[in-house]
Amino acid sequence: MLQQRWLPYLLLAPAILFLMLVLALPIVQAVLLSFQSPGGSFGLESFRRMVIDIHFQGAVRNTFLLTALVVPLQVTLAIAIALLVNTRLPGTATFLYVCAIPLGISDLAAGLVWLSIFSERGYLNTILHAIGLIDRPVPYLSYEHPAWLFASVVLAEVWRATAIVMVILVAGLQLIPRDYLETADVFGAGGWTKLRMVILPLLKPSIQAALIIRTILAFQVFAVVLALTGRIIPVLAGESYFWYALYRNAHVASAYAVVIMALSATLTGFYLRLLRVREEQMG
Amino acid sequence: MRREWLRGVLILWILALGAGVASSGPRVTVNFLSTQLNPIQEAEWVRRELLPPLEQEAGISVRFLPEESGAFVDRLIAEQRARRVTIDLAGTLHGDFPILVASGVLEDLTALQNNLSARKDRIFIPEFLRLSRMGGIQAYIPWMQATYLLAVNKKALPYLPAGANVNALTYEQLRQWGENITAATKERKLGFPAGPRGLFGRFLHGYLYPSFTGTQVQNFRSPEAVEMWRFLKRLWLYVNPSSLRYEFMHEPLLSEEVWIAWDHTARLIPAIRARPNDFIVVPSPRGPKGLGFITVIAGLSIPKGAPNAEAAATVIEYLTRPQTQIKVLQGVAFFPTVREASGMLPVGPERVLATGVTAQATARGGKTALLPIGLGARVGEFVPAYLDAFRAIMIQGQPIEQVLDRQARVLNDLYRATNAPCTPPDPPQQPCQVK
Repeated sequence: MLQQRWLPYLLLAPAILFLMLVLALPIVQAVLLSFQSPGGSFGLESFRRMVIDIHFQGAVRNTFLLTALVVPLQVTLAIAIALLVNTRLPGTATFLYVCAIPLGISDLAAGLVWLSIFSERGYLNTILHAIGLIDRPVPYLSYEHPAWLFASVVLAEVWRATAIVMVILVAGLQLIPRDYLETADVFGAGGWTKLRMVILPLLKPSIQAALIIRTILAFQVFAVVLALTGRIIPVLAGESYFWYALYRNAHVASAYAVVIMALSATLTGFYLRLLRVREEQMG
Repeated sequence: MRREWLRGVLILWILALGAGVASSGPRVTVNFLSTQLNPIQEAEWVRRELLPPLEQEAGISVRFLPEESGAFVDRLIAEQRARRVTIDLAGTLHGDFPILVASGVLEDLTALQNNLSARKDRIFIPEFLRLSRMGGIQAYIPWMQATYLLAVNKKALPYLPAGANVNALTYEQLRQWGENITAATKERKLGFPAGPRGLFGRFLHGYLYPSFTGTQVQNFRSPEAVEMWRFLKRLWLYVNPSSLRYEFMHEPLLSEEVWIAWDHTARLIPAIRARPNDFIVVPSPRGPKGLGFITVIAGLSIPKGAPNAEAAATVIEYLTRPQTQIKVLQGVAFFPTVREASGMLPVGPERVLATGVTAQATARGGKTALLPIGLGARVGEFVPAYLDAFRAIMIQGQPIEQVLDRQARVLNDLYRATNAPCTPPDPPQQPCQVK
């Protein structure tokens, strides 16, 4: 009996220990650091320093704007790709693999790939110049064109991270029993009606998971922005890095990290409420 | 008493060495703690290339121990307090020495310096000798230097403004030069490393400010400073806008996105090594108050009570030989602190750079700026005070006077909190304060 009762906990113990060590402990440390001043006393000094910093407002604005632009784009695109893949037309397997390539690339590498395209002596300018569309290189990644800079980051992020959403959705699609769709056919539902009334509702759990993961990751966006824009477009995770690595102030860096964590947690709670999944939809 | 004794031994040792009497006694091991040359490749180079000849020659083995600046200072002070000194030789930047001297950690190296100077085979740059004396003692022996200057693609030379000498440019001539190039090529060919990990902050506080206001800190919001920022706005019309992404200028120099680039010597040399015939290196420009430039000096010192002080003195003698200094320049791109070395350089990329470094160091009206000292753990907040002003004025377009007032408060708070002194070219003041 005793063994029966304790066995599950025993089996869970290694995972819990692991999570405590690599997640819970650093989180507690970061929170402690953020409320500590370099002198060692506790208070809101680090947060005050963070809020008055010249990059703070821009970082908050840009992080929200990027998330608001990138996440819906990625989810829409991923649903489209997933549906296309699910048609099982010839060539879809290859298409799926090609779409999944960015999954295997680190985000900094992805940023550098796009940098090599957009920089002044990059591929885009070279090609445009070669076919005679431009006389001289156009500096796309310039602080003088913030909209272009932003667009390049959105493009790179969509390219890089749509795949993870797609993989979740493809898996979700394949869980939908064929019977439902066949029943819909019997009742004479068209493609659009089937998508709206059958597929999307049944896909809700997957969409929820994908949205949560992508939004959390979007709040941590950093390397792509750094590679493409330097600090012209400040973002929260980037500021955390700069305060730690450049200014050697772990306290303000932690304050930024705590802000990111609070935002992620709030939005995750929001998603869980908004996209509440009923028992019968659990797949 | 102990100090006198040690000094005597030092002198004897050096005399013995000078007379060519090589010791064949038991091998001693010198522990060499250093904040310099601590990237892995450089440290490996020190162990494999720099030190073995000495080890063969003098029968000393040297254990090279790279360390970060904070831990370096902490360790030396802690060893001294515990009276368990294990480090024989300590090498770091000028800015780390005041606290070591104030903590009574360092041996007075006056005798060693006199002996090295008496050898007549090496003349230390006088400015460095002056700086290396602090608190009444010879705190360190000048070891290596680095600086920041302009690398110029030879393609830019035809556009040099009439009457301008490329080796003695003014900031206004640099701006005119950029304008000429832009007029001819429709491209902006000046470049600065103003990306996140670039060293553009050094240009603001150590080059522009001393050149235009005569100080780094005190005249931060003076009328001259306002004029300086107005000039920077005019200059920026001809600066490649990608400068805000550049971190190491050798990259845009090699891709020819820019023709004229300002950066640290170590960050220019890869371009010059790749194409030594395409570039020249010239001093940074001068402004109304002279040629402000930063010299980064590294020095070698011996902690009090070091177990192998005599052997450490031998290592210092070896590291300050002109031939060794050239080897360091060729290996890791740090520049000599003794005059003879530059003249002995073979034709090549290092010579291109060394010519520029010497021209800058000996320029008339030179205003050597030293990196801030005494800011302790908050040293990382100094440069951002300047960079944030740059961002607010140049990118966000905020009014200059307003930004300078705000950033002056940031600087004053920082200096008051740490009670740090001004560093040259500012007149002495503690804590340093913006007027």
